[in-house]
Amino acid sequence: MIKKILIIDDDKIFSKILRDGLIAGGEGKYEVIAAFDGEEGFDVAIREKPDLIMLDMMMPKVTGIEFLRRYRKEESGKDTPVIVETQLSDLEKMSEGVELGVRGYIIKSDYSLDTILRQVEDILK
Amino acid sequence: MVPRELLPIIVVLITLYLVVIAFSYWGVHRIKRGVYAKDTEIKRRLYELAILKEIADRTGYSLNIKKILDVIVGSLNQFLEYSVVSYMLLEPSKVVFKADLERSVSISFIKDIRTRMLGSLSALLGRDLSAVEVEETITGAIMMGVTEEPVRSYFNIPLVIGDQLVGVLTVSHTKAGLYKESEMEILYKIVNQASQAVSKLEDVVKTEQGKIAAMLESMLEGVVMTDLDYRVIAANPAAEAVIGYKGEGVPTIFNFIDAFNESLDIRSKLEEAIKLDKVLTINEVIFNNKYYQVVVSPVKSNIGLTRGQTLGGVIILHDVTHEKEAEKMRNDFTSMIVHELRSPLGNIKKIGEMMRSSKILEDKQASSEYVSMLYESSSSMLDLVNDLLDVAKLEAGKFSVEKSSVDIKEILSERMKFFEATARDAGINMNLIVAEGVPNSVSVDAKRITQVLNNLFSNALIYTLKGGTVTAICFLHKKGQTISDEALAVSAPWVSDSMSLDTTILPDSVVVAVTDTGEGITSENIEKLFNKFTQFASSTRDSEHKGTGLGLVIVKGIIDAHGGVVGVGSKLKSGSTFYFTIPL
Repeated sequence: MIKKILIIDDDKIFSKILRDGLIAGGEGKYEVIAAFDGEEGFDVAIREKPDLIMLDMMMPKVTGIEFLRRYRKEESGKDTPVIVETQLSDLEKMSEGVELGVRGYIIKSDYSLDTILRQVEDILK
Repeated sequence: MVPRELLPIIVVLITLYLVVIAFSYWGVHRIKRGVYAKDTEIKRRLYELAILKEIADRTGYSLNIKKILDVIVGSLNQFLEYSVVSYMLLEPSKVVFKADLERSVSISFIKDIRTRMLGSLSALLGRDLSAVEVEETITGAIMMGVTEEPVRSYFNIPLVIGDQLVGVLTVSHTKAGLYKESEMEILYKIVNQASQAVSKLEDVVKTEQGKIAAMLESMLEGVVMTDLDYRVIAANPAAEAVIGYKGEGVPTIFNFIDAFNESLDIRSKLEEAIKLDKVLTINEVIFNNKYYQVVVSPVKSNIGLTRGQTLGGVIILHDVTHEKEAEKMRNDFTSMIVHELRSPLGNIKKIGEMMRSSKILEDKQASSEYVSMLYESSSSMLDLVNDLLDVAKLEAGKFSVEKSSVDIKEILSERMKFFEATARDAGINMNLIVAEGVPNSVSVDAKRITQVLNNLFSNALIYTLKGGTVTAICFLHKKGQTISDEALAVSAPWVSDSMSLDTTILPDSVVVAVTDTGEGITSENIEKLFNKFTQFASSTRDSEHKGTGLGLVIVKGIIDAHGGVVGVGSKLKSGSTFYFTIPL
């Protein structure tokens, strides 16, 4: 069964690399869609009901945390697994993310596609 | 027998003799009188000096008129003859009457002078004192078994300190015919000098107190002083403002204890400071959403007999919210810069990794996509580094422009064309209004002005929604006119200045402006626009135009270097105008 992954990130290049990596590494297991800010991400998440969300924490308009707070109140967003993309320096701020059911994180400046693939696979198993 | 003819001679001689004796007697008497007078005068002077010295010695720098009067009363018998010396002093709620009996007098004698003194005080003040409580003290000779003798001589001197009547001093006697005005000169002198000394001292103290009070009032720090029982003696307006005290008079310590209840135990800190005799500094007391540094210190006397003694405590409330905010801003700025540099760098690395490991290079379209991603990522990094360098130069004062004669209208229309593609993609209209009379040649740094325009255009396009309009405007400003009037005269869309800049004083200049129909900026954020640290936080950055946020800081720097000004007008939900001037 094909799993739907939603990437919410304002960094279009990062988003594209991640998308290409997930599609290539998933060997047809994943359908990857993207949204470029929290606002749009929220609408897409409600509409598309993804199986996993890769969420950037630092975004204009609606930040990652704000997205999570809103999304967790929705019926379809209650249990959706979320992996956040963040900076090493912001890891300490993640405690609220943990409370909001974040399942994993990617350090944006130092990530490896293999690790991300493994993380995604684990969660979607 | 004496011959008859000698008689007249004898008579003459006797007469002469008598005259000589009379003259010499008179002369000696005169000299004696003179010596006696001088002696009296010297005695008086010495006495006066002695009294004044004694007053000075015994009262020190006393402001206590009672003490001074006691000294005068105690030494007056050396000079004047009297039965009773007495004084009466006005106090806020009563009158103090003190009589010192040199000789025994009757009770009615005392009553009489008391009535007389109260009468003269009432007359001098012009108000009736008969109902006021009189505190009476009688010292000296006892009044037992004395014959009823009335007051036969009486002399009264008003006590005036600093133009204010404070009481009367009186000498009285059972003997009649004493105290002629001329004899009382010395008493006047003594009393005058004493009261002058007190007046002067009072002035000095008042001035000093005034200085301290004014200093305390004008201090930005809240200052609260308490006595040893933690009662508030003084609190300045800043301290009252900290706790939001609006009551009458000085707030009590409980106002402060209650206000700081959650954040700091003021009472125990005061106790600690006073008992352990040390200065306590408590950093980062958060109260009412503000940060305070609180210093609690014992207050010690540094003059007089009480020198070194602890008099109470003082609490100093120093609002450090601004410093805290600035610190936070700097930290935010640093982490933003790091983020902005790291993201493209991380991407570049990942693109390289992807191109190396996967089959992207075999796919022509994918590889050209990745190459342009590499280009974009490295460009945005380079832009940021360049901006940072520019800001560093601005801050170091090493920012310079290389001016040459160029046609600013041409630069403007060239930039318009450059941004038209982006505008079209975003569904935004672009207009150009160039008024007549703008010279073809203006001395500017073309590269830097291009940079300014890039910033203004890209900002305008970011914040304008689909269907909106971005208008570039260029016109002439004449000294004495307002720029917004001049803009309206060429029918340019214009949002009036929100920075309350007086444009009439600007010299003749070329004005270049970009007006958008975007979301507008709150006045609070306008202030932050040109600040390096706040720009990041206030801007809602767009994914595609990931500006460094330093753009407007640099714009201002460039225009400053050209001797022009940058202005902003903005109205929420309707749009903004950013303009700059280049003096001709």
